[in-house]
Amino acid sequence: MSLLSLIVVTPLIGALLILAIPGTRTKLIQGVALVFSALTLLLTGYLYAAFDKTVVLMQFVEKLSWIPAFNINYCVGVDGLSVALVTLTGLLTMLAIIYSFNITVRIKEFFFWFLLLEVGMLGVFVALDFFLFYVFWELTLVPMYFLIGVWGGPKKEYAAIKFFLFTLFGSLLMLLGILALYFNSMPHTFDMMELIKQGSLLPRAMQIWIFLALYVGFAIKIPAFPFHTWLPLAHVEAPTGVSVILAGVMLKMGTYGIMRFSFPALPEATKWFMPFLIVIAIINIVYGAFCAMAQKDLKKMVAYSSVNHMGYCMLGMTAMSGIGWNGAVLQMITHGLITGSLFFLVGVIYDRAHTRDIDAFGGLAAKFPVYAGLMIIQVMASLGLPGLAGFVGEFLCFLGAFNVWPYYVAVGTIGILVTAAFFLRMIEKVFLGPFNEKWAALKDIGFREMVAIVPLVLLTVIIGVWPKFCLDLIDPTITYLVGMIK
Amino acid sequence: MSNLILLNPEIILACAGLLILLAGAFIGESRAKLLFHLGTISAAAVLGMVVTQAVMAAYGNGTMWVLDPAAQLFKFIILLATVFTLLLSVNYHAIQPRHVGTYTALVLWASCGMMFLSGAMDLIYLLISLELISISCFILTGFEQKNPRSAEGAIKYFLMGGLSTAVTIYGISLFYGATGTTNLFNYVSSVDLHFNDPAYIMGMLFILVGFGFKISMVPFHFWAPDAYEGAPTPITAYLSVASKLAALGAMMRIFASVIPHYAISSTLVIAVLAALTMTVGNLTALFQTNVKRLLAYSSIAQAGYMLIGLVVADPIGRESVFFYALAYLVTNMGAFAVAMVVAGKTGSYELDAYDGLARRSLGLSIVMVMFLLSLAGIPPLVGFVGKFYLFASAVNSHTYLWLAVLGVVNSVVSVYYYMNIARRMFFSESKDVSAVETDIYTAGVIFVTSAATLLMGLLPETFMRIVKGCVSFHS
Repeated sequence: MSLLSLIVVTPLIGALLILAIPGTRTKLIQGVALVFSALTLLLTGYLYAAFDKTVVLMQFVEKLSWIPAFNINYCVGVDGLSVALVTLTGLLTMLAIIYSFNITVRIKEFFFWFLLLEVGMLGVFVALDFFLFYVFWELTLVPMYFLIGVWGGPKKEYAAIKFFLFTLFGSLLMLLGILALYFNSMPHTFDMMELIKQGSLLPRAMQIWIFLALYVGFAIKIPAFPFHTWLPLAHVEAPTGVSVILAGVMLKMGTYGIMRFSFPALPEATKWFMPFLIVIAIINIVYGAFCAMAQKDLKKMVAYSSVNHMGYCMLGMTAMSGIGWNGAVLQMITHGLITGSLFFLVGVIYDRAHTRDIDAFGGLAAKFPVYAGLMIIQVMASLGLPGLAGFVGEFLCFLGAFNVWPYYVAVGTIGILVTAAFFLRMIEKVFLGPFNEKWAALKDIGFREMVAIVPLVLLTVIIGVWPKFCLDLIDPTITYLVGMIK
Repeated sequence: MSNLILLNPEIILACAGLLILLAGAFIGESRAKLLFHLGTISAAAVLGMVVTQAVMAAYGNGTMWVLDPAAQLFKFIILLATVFTLLLSVNYHAIQPRHVGTYTALVLWASCGMMFLSGAMDLIYLLISLELISISCFILTGFEQKNPRSAEGAIKYFLMGGLSTAVTIYGISLFYGATGTTNLFNYVSSVDLHFNDPAYIMGMLFILVGFGFKISMVPFHFWAPDAYEGAPTPITAYLSVASKLAALGAMMRIFASVIPHYAISSTLVIAVLAALTMTVGNLTALFQTNVKRLLAYSSIAQAGYMLIGLVVADPIGRESVFFYALAYLVTNMGAFAVAMVVAGKTGSYELDAYDGLARRSLGLSIVMVMFLLSLAGIPPLVGFVGKFYLFASAVNSHTYLWLAVLGVVNSVVSVYYYMNIARRMFFSESKDVSAVETDIYTAGVIFVTSAATLLMGLLPETFMRIVKGCVSFHS
């Protein structure tokens, strides 16, 4: 069994093990969840270390025959585009599991679904066979449905089914696109690498149809305007740990899918679609930022800021150049780190105050210096302060896109301004000003929460100061992919 | 040459039915359950025979019947469904001990009719098999004597069934008038003669109505929800699986092989009916509050998906229907088994009986979610592979891509009501928190079907090979 299969299987073993433990042994269940997620993280860390940065092609490839009747193979592999996302998934899942030790009801089911979710997410990033990709893609759906629906907020049931229906609709259209690709390849195959080679030979009209079918599937996950409406609802209702995974990893599945497959395989359609994509990206940036500004609920504000940040990511993709795409991938990773930690931080305050209303707080900085410090660092990173991770990604995205779409990019900068405005206003209202005595009894951030949050903050700073250690990984593959389209 | 030997399994099954009916008169009420076991054993033994025939490739033609791989696949499906049905019946409360013999015999005879149907190559023979199924099933549907719903369902089923039989017979007479034969063997050699004969095409369309009734194709589906709701639950499962798939098998034989629908320019009719069937089934299922009615409408929609393969009618299309039939067999059987267990504990088939089931019996709930997700077509379960196959055939045909798109939209709609049951099981609370226990027979059925649902989804290759080997209708 290769390293990648081991990475995917480890959380699955953990999930099955949890299913076998009696529900009353909560400490044991938490322990097993932690051990298996930590083990997965270690393996992804090893993957990261063993990954050869100079090779542009797929590494750690494993290929086994699965359903020969349809020429479907179990085929996994990683390149510079996916390896960082795999590591990010391992990291965020473990931190979210640590944070979720505060879940008190139906612990067994919670961690079972959580580890199953990790299997699906890791699988999506390593799959090289489109059928396998689809199976993993859908595998994330059911655990997420239950995680939101059982442990979520007041409108959890509606949020869960809305998430499910939106995503399923997109993924089934994607399935039709995949089938169209399959039947138009010779010999029929689901192998992504092979399809990428053959896709460009398809007639333009067919490329466009297939591109659109795949795009809807990916865009719903991103979520790109106008498919974003499930996101704020799902984020707000989901428990903290699940929001982190949703924002930190699952949104990236959409942009990953487009960059991994749609762009290189369907170059004609990509060129045709670019004018639309830039408009969508700008709408995401500006509209997302304005929506975030209008929110009184902290978590909803962060959720809309995700719409905005994924807009930067799409903006980078529209550049069709090494700079823009490097920016897009880096943006995926930094958004995972920053927004993930912001959701943790919002969860921390909500667990204590049982409200997320921005206006309900005030002057918390004096009382909770550690919490305020962490929050302010991450907010600054999110609004793009140089020296922190968010800046590098955003800057590269804008820089790349400016070459091709200068006017759109000019409009997009409004988004940056608004983002800065709502984040700073939030800091002012929550952390500065006179202290609201109502919260005098609250405690500062605890050890468990620190363990979940601090690694993300550290990484944010490290990538901000020294982005090279991340970009080195991405750049060779991206240059290769961009070259394929040109 | 009559080649009666090919019908040995059917003959043995019919005789077993007779013997069990007779034995029912001599076995005391306290030991009546023995008869279920006898029925199960005979069905299983005949199943073994069919498999042996398949392994020995004992194919051939009779005067009015044929034994080919396709017929054998459907016989296999029917007999498996029969075994499951009888196992589910063992501890079903509403069957009175003194009627067990009748009940078991009727199930076996209905299965016998279905087996005849799957190899029918003559329209008269086909009609008789349809009638054997219908009459047995009418009685079985009305078997809960103390339940007025059961009688209502049976009457509706009977009236609609009678009407559809009349239409079928009329269709057969038109066919005979146009071609001078009811035999499909003779017919094949003169296929081009009748290409544009309106009487003949009308005849075929009327025959289609007869099948449409059996597989609950819209707009001939109105009996299904009432009959399904009223019938004893094992019979509901039986109707929705065995009866539907047997008729679908015969429909595939006639309309996708002997007289292909494209040769009589009726492809578009069937395509539109398929579209209507899945859409109406799914949209109506959204509003059901009774789980049996919900599954009834869901099985109407499932028939609609399967018709996609019939519309496409090329080898992939046929394979996809056959594969989906296998998938549907295990999934739907399992779903009804769980519904029966839940109703046995709560006494209700209403959806609110599922509130908080996950707290009461986590295993049962997870298995039910598996069946529902499989019906909805979510990987890695067998229902997904089946739908994948069906959609693949539609995408491959280009012309019927729109059916695949409609199928996709329908799948999304269906998830809403399937997950509604899951929502009740996992998200809602119930007052009663006592565990739901399952008797050994039902547990066995649930175990086998759930294992098959998962394993056939993860490793479908073997079954795809079997199905590929079965697509050839008689040569």
